[in-house]
Amino acid sequence: MAEFIIMPKQGLQMTEGTIMEWLVGEGEEVIADAPLFEMETDKLTITIDASAGGTLLKIIHGAGAVVPITEPIAIIGEKGEDFSGLLNSIGAPAAPSVVAESVEPVQTEEASVGIAIVKAPRTGRVFASPRAKMLAEEKGIDVADIDGSGPEGLIIEKDVLDYVLNPAQKTAATPLARKVAELENIDINEIQGSGVRNKVLAEDVRSSASVSQTPIQLVQQLDEELIPIKGMRKIVAERMKQSLGEMAQANHRITVDMTNSVALREQYKAVGRKVSYNDIVLRCAAKALTEFPMMNSSWTSAGIVLKKYVNMGIAVAIEQGLIVPVIKNIHLKSLDQISKESSELATKAKENRLQPEDYSGGTFTVSNLGMFDIDGFTAIINPPEAGILAVGKLAKQPVVIGDEIVIRMMMQLSLTYDHRTVDGAPAAQFLKRIKELLENPMLLI
Amino acid sequence: MSKKTYATAIRDVIAEEMRRDENVFVMGEDIELLGGIFGCTRDLYKEFGTDRIRNTPISEAAMVGAGVGAACAGMRPIVELMYMDFTLVAADQIINQAAKTRYIFGGKAKIPLVIRGQQGIGRGNAATHSQSLETIFMHFPGIKVACPSNAADAAGLLRTAIRDDNPVMFFEHKALYASKFEVPDDPDFCVPFGKAEIKRTGKDVTIVGSLLYVSRALEAAAELEKIGIDAEVIDPRTMVPFDMDTIIESVKKTGKLVVVHEAHKVAGWGAEVVSEVVDGAFKYLDAAPIHLGAKACPLPFNIELENAVVPSVQQIVEAAKKVCYR
Repeated sequence: MAEFIIMPKQGLQMTEGTIMEWLVGEGEEVIADAPLFEMETDKLTITIDASAGGTLLKIIHGAGAVVPITEPIAIIGEKGEDFSGLLNSIGAPAAPSVVAESVEPVQTEEASVGIAIVKAPRTGRVFASPRAKMLAEEKGIDVADIDGSGPEGLIIEKDVLDYVLNPAQKTAATPLARKVAELENIDINEIQGSGVRNKVLAEDVRSSASVSQTPIQLVQQLDEELIPIKGMRKIVAERMKQSLGEMAQANHRITVDMTNSVALREQYKAVGRKVSYNDIVLRCAAKALTEFPMMNSSWTSAGIVLKKYVNMGIAVAIEQGLIVPVIKNIHLKSLDQISKESSELATKAKENRLQPEDYSGGTFTVSNLGMFDIDGFTAIINPPEAGILAVGKLAKQPVVIGDEIVIRMMMQLSLTYDHRTVDGAPAAQFLKRIKELLENPMLLI
Repeated sequence: MSKKTYATAIRDVIAEEMRRDENVFVMGEDIELLGGIFGCTRDLYKEFGTDRIRNTPISEAAMVGAGVGAACAGMRPIVELMYMDFTLVAADQIINQAAKTRYIFGGKAKIPLVIRGQQGIGRGNAATHSQSLETIFMHFPGIKVACPSNAADAAGLLRTAIRDDNPVMFFEHKALYASKFEVPDDPDFCVPFGKAEIKRTGKDVTIVGSLLYVSRALEAAAELEKIGIDAEVIDPRTMVPFDMDTIIESVKKTGKLVVVHEAHKVAGWGAEVVSEVVDGAFKYLDAAPIHLGAKACPLPFNIELENAVVPSVQQIVEAAKKVCYR
């Protein structure tokens, strides 16, 4: 039977993906576990393998298309099979349809990369027993709102009676909309429907999940170029906007005397081991985070989630934009290990080889623009984290020590924190503790 | 009330009606001394003589033809056929004469004729002695068809048949003759034609069956009760006239219908019931009705195979579960 291949969800934040290239052409054979298409998502290009074999009957969205998660992107089935019904079904989103036995799209960063195949939505008519129809009419219910429990989804009397009894189902919504809402973890009862009699359609759920589907209009009259907002640019934009929109972000700055840290680095170098200043900053920040757990938390609707582990994000600039690979459980790792992992992640990021698990699950982020000669800057928190440490350039500066002006290696740190979670004084203490550790790196031992 | 077998109830009604009306008489094979092979006229020759309990040659066409003639002439004959399978030998007399005479003569001739006998499974009587043929005679206007499922109905329906001025095909069931039932003693006890009996009330599914399949439907209902399905069991009692209203009302309540009969399923009367119910209660249906009947196979001689051809209690249970989506 012909089935849809849908845009898979790769990671919790993903709402849509861009198809980069189909590796199998229409009419060609799809081999299970062999590469099927490349997509750009969550800042990376990923190759998606086919989870099942068959013939690629139809490519619905070609290269370059931006497709929300769970939307059909292609049809797979047996050679020569008629899939016109399936194709028509997506042309009419208002028509009631059912997602039958969808394979759950990948939701956790640990899950393997694979495609989700959704069985054909029921097209056209809603089938209800005459008795169910009569009863629904008496109760003033549209049978299309009811999920059928009979054979092939037939709506029977019992389903109408259950519907009347169960207020949770009261919001009129297509089954597909319910499925999407479930995947997106959205309460369908809070969505304003745009369908017949305010029925909630899958589109409504997607737009409420702030997945914009604005069509791209090319502007030609002036000497301007319109860059479609998609892929990494779109994701960065949305996350930064979300960050500033939701959090109460405040900022502290502190200047650190790095003389002792420079000496530490020299000592490592003297024994043939290479660590960067940034690695030392990461190590100090990780230690400070274990001492200030509120800085390592997430604000959620259920409450503040205190994390007993530190997954340190490192902002890395790459050609396409920005990516934040994560060193997992950094609080348990030595400076050597941190140095090794951070350099591996940076290399993978620059070569576009990061896997979703490499850049998800962060609890705090360090962003360093010192190499661009920046004195200091204010970073925007990477949600759902509670803080971000911005690191400026390391440079010799005249400093007053005692009553003398001396030359020291100085560096500016800037902490942006979520004031909903952390107040100014503890945030200051946290930043001061990082300074203390950097100025006295033997405390790391 | 007296507890009687189905066979005795029939014999007693024949005797009572013969006492009440001297125009009533019986023709059939071996009905005098033997009293019929199932004893439905046992010893009646002693009271009424062999003029009114008359043995006939083995010629069903002649027996029924004589019955039609006697009925036209003002008598009220009862023709006993040893097996109702033999109605087919007398088919012209039944279908073209008995059924149509009153119509052809503009109502001037009445045909108060009863053709009775037994049919069905239960004795391994093989292909030409085990059929269920009530459906065939429902097809032709002009004949009434009765199918009693117990001794009381046998008595009440037979009395109504004898007193009716039109030809009546009276289908008894060989497997029911020995079954006992409370029968009213009233010598005028009649069961009206065209009045179904609700044998068991229920709210979840309507099961319609006749003759042997009334008890089988009730057995199925008892099984269904164990899994929480409350079945209503209806015995139409007469096929012509057929009380469709009672069934339609029941289906309006339950929304589900199973019709079961021993007659072959293909073009069996159950199909007519489904058709009428779909017509009369379409919007009340919560499931497609199920019609059960004998397989398209002559009734086997081997009793085990005979049972395999006709619907079982378990099949009725399964059908009811299916329409209840269980």
